[in-house]
Formats: sequence, C-alpha cells, structure tokens
Amino acid sequence: MYYDLNLLWSPKALELQRNISFLAELGYNVIALNHIQSGKLPADISCPIPATLPFPLPPNVQILRRSTLVVTDTSQNHRIKDFNDASSGYDILAIRPTDEKSFQQACWSLDCDLISLDLTLRYPFHFKHKVLLDAVNRGVRIELCYGPGITSMDKTARKQLIENATAIIRATRGRGIVISSEATSALQCRAPTDIVNLATVWGLGQERGVEALTREARSVVVAAQFKRTSYRGVVDVIYGGEKPIKEKVDKKEKGKQKRKAAEITVDTEANSELEKPLSKTQLKKQAHLARMKAKAEAEALEIETTQNADADVNMAGQETPEI
Amino acid sequence: MVRIKHRYLLINILYPSKAPNFSTKDDIPDVIQFRAPTPDNFETGVLLRMIKEGVNELYGDYGLGMIAGSLKIIYLSAPTSTAIIRVSRDHYRLVWTALTMATRLPKPVDLPCVIQVVRTSGTIRKAEEEAIRRAKASIVRSKQSAQTNGSVGIDILRDFNLVGRYHQPSPAPNIRDGPTNHDSSESEVQID
Repeated sequence: MYYDLNLLWSPKALELQRNISFLAELGYNVIALNHIQSGKLPADISCPIPATLPFPLPPNVQILRRSTLVVTDTSQNHRIKDFNDASSGYDILAIRPTDEKSFQQACWSLDCDLISLDLTLRYPFHFKHKVLLDAVNRGVRIELCYGPGITSMDKTARKQLIENATAIIRATRGRGIVISSEATSALQCRAPTDIVNLATVWGLGQERGVEALTREARSVVVAAQFKRTSYRGVVDVIYGGEKPIKEKVDKKEKGKQKRKAAEITVDTEANSELEKPLSKTQLKKQAHLARMKAKAEAEALEIETTQNADADVNMAGQETPEI
Repeated sequence: MVRIKHRYLLINILYPSKAPNFSTKDDIPDVIQFRAPTPDNFETGVLLRMIKEGVNELYGDYGLGMIAGSLKIIYLSAPTSTAIIRVSRDHYRLVWTALTMATRLPKPVDLPCVIQVVRTSGTIRKAEEEAIRRAKASIVRSKQSAQTNGSVGIDILRDFNLVGRYHQPSPAPNIRDGPTNHDSSESEVQID
C-alpha cells in the first residue's frame, strides 16, 4: 500500500480524473486530495471536495480529503478544532508554516496531523532537531513534497528543494518523515520506487524511504481518522462485521411476540397442550380421577345434607330443654 | 581477474498528458494512453543524450565523469516505450535520479513524459524477463479495459498492431481469460 497524501484538488473533473488514474498507474493506493487555504478563513469551512467524485475511480484506490492551512500570523485563531471535527468533511489537516515562529508553534502546540513546508522557498532559519523531534514525538509527521521542485522552470526551486529536504532529513535523523507529491498535474508525479531512490540520495536510508511512503503515511491517516471518529481520542466504535445469522432469526421472533402478544399467548397454550400428547393410560387415569372426584363430591354433599339434618335435629333437641 | 560490476535499469516511459498519437480520439482508456508508443525517431542516441544532460545538470562534471565510461543503452523499444540501461554499480543512483528528474524527451521527439525505473538488476537476463513479464501484463490490462470501454479500445490496440503482434487471434477469443490466451504470445515478445 503506497500513499500519496498530497494531490492538489482542482474542480476540473477531467484533469483530476487523469491525475488520479496516473497515480494509480504508478502504484499508489491511497491518494489524499489537498485543498490549500490561506489568509482569513471563511465562516463556513466545510470541504469543497465532494465525498464521492463524479467519475469512476480505478480499482484499489482510496481517496481522502485533506486541508492545508497556511499559517502566517501566530496570534490568529485558526479554528483548528473545526477542521479536526468529522463534520467539516476533511480527513487530514496539515499546517504550512511560513516563518520560524509559526513553524515552532506548529511543532509544539497546533493540533494537526502533518507539518508541510513549501520546500521550494528559502527559509532564513535552521531546522532544529529538538523542535522537529517534539513534533514527531507528539505524533505529527513532517511532509516533504517533491512535485514543485521537479517541474519548476527556475533552477533555484530544485536547489532549494534539495537543500531543505536534506536539512530536514538530517535534523529529524530520518524519523517521522512522509514524502508526497504535491502535484498539480500528473507530470509531477513519480513512482514510489523512484521516490525511494531520490530519498536515498538525499540521505534518508532506503528502508526509511519506503516507510515514508507506506508506514508513516498510514500512521498519519489512521491517527487523523481516530481523532475525528473516536470519543475524546480514547474510545472508538468500529464496525465488527455482520452478526451471525442465528441471532437474526431470534430477533424476528422477538419482534412478532411484541406485536401480537394476545395471539401468541393463545398459541403457546395450544402449543403446550399439543406438546404433551396424552397416552391412553394417562387418559384413563385422568378419567378415573375425575370420576373419583365426582364421587367424592357427591358423597360430601350427602354427608353435608345428613349433617345439616342432624344439626337441625340437634338444634331442635337443644332448644327444647331450654324451653 | 576482477570484472566491473554493473546495474541494469529497466525503464518505462509514460505519457501522463495527451499522448502524440491519440489526439483525435478522446475516449481511450487511460491505461493505454499512459503507455502509448514513443515516436520512431526516439533512438538510443537521444536517450543517451538525455541521460547525460540530466546527470550534468544535477551532478555536474563529476557525475558525468563517473558514469560516462559505463553508460550504455542495452535495449530500446519505441513501440513499448521500454529501455534497458547499463551503468556501473557504484553510480547507478546518479543515472536513476537524472531519469526521475527528467520531464521531457529531448528535441527530435520533444514530448512531456515521466520516466519510471521499474527494475534494477545485476544481470541483463533478469531485466529482460521483467520486461517480458510487464509487456504481457500490460497487454492483458489494456484488453480488459478495452472490453469494459467497448469497441474503441480494441480498435486502438489494432491501430498500434498490439493485437496482431502480441496475440494470435484464436477462433473464439475470450479476453477475460487473459493469462491462458497469452501463453501463446510468449514467443512473439522478443528482446534482442
């Protein structure tokens, strides 16, 4: 599974479809469409990228939606909480710092998933090991984008890309790095193995290079998803597959019982009789018992009547002496 | 005797933007468009020049000097946009990065392209085997996508003699059963 977490989104469906299918052709499986936002944020930050794209996707390709916030003023409120909410529609939030102050803020405190520097620019400060490592330990990954450096016409862009990339690789000691394309057109995309080679030349080991396209990128996606769906980043409800069929049948019966309680009680009585068919001996026994009972009752009645009669007599007898 | 060890890079040339030969027809499947044939004027000299210019741009005279002795185009096939390049093993990454950074085929061809190194190997034989395997796989995929996209794709394949060259039509060709059909094409794909 190779990840490209940065393909610039454009509303032109034809171009986008071409870019996605070219990335799929190169061997990428997960592609994040990137929407860059800078300056003052609009009131409604919901994602302009549609959840289902208006064209068929190549097989085995998963599309994610990502927002990149350009941070220039550290005092400004960037409403990062809104971006980290599932309702915003974004799957990943990246921060693009522009100066040292915002870079440090992004590394230390901003609640984002990725720190993505524009590597074609010259930065007047050093990338410090401690600052970058704080970000990596916090679970934030550093992104290197090769796309703009490859196709840009002026050679300084490529030179800056190499300079910045090697500086970041040296400062992080190769830890927590994600490589993605930031491509506007398919011409800027390169195959995963080519990128691994490029990273090797830049000082990232071959294994680290492969991890930058697979494991590290995946950890970004999974952590971002977890942040959005779970309860306080601790507990998450996951889909555990369908229930066994046996339980389904039970459910149906339960439902029936609730609806037609009266009918079913009658039925169950009938069933209980049906369940125990009486044998001949039992029938005889019951008949005998019934007969005996009747007989006993009849005798009891007789006794009662005689006793009553006696009582009457006694009463009469008792009364007489008094008088 | 100590022999000089080499790396053999198997490369594919891909055309992400509109390929030259497809200007008239729009609804060709992407799989076929990306792997379009390169024009015939793309020869070993052109590729060699492109690599040298690229290495010179990235690594200067040092890089050029390091690779110049061993660099050789072993195989180049314009119709399949495939090539095998030989470089010394110590410096193959210089050539590789130059290929990665290339965005355009040079003058007589002059097309925007993406070059993908699909395999590096220590022997020519392994590179050859991989080239054959990939050619077959791409034909199968082209046919599958052609079938899903209707008859257009098949016409395209015929235009480029892909059907005729790599696949001898059987009485009832079932394109879905690709792998069985393509055993027959093994002898047809040849790398000198």
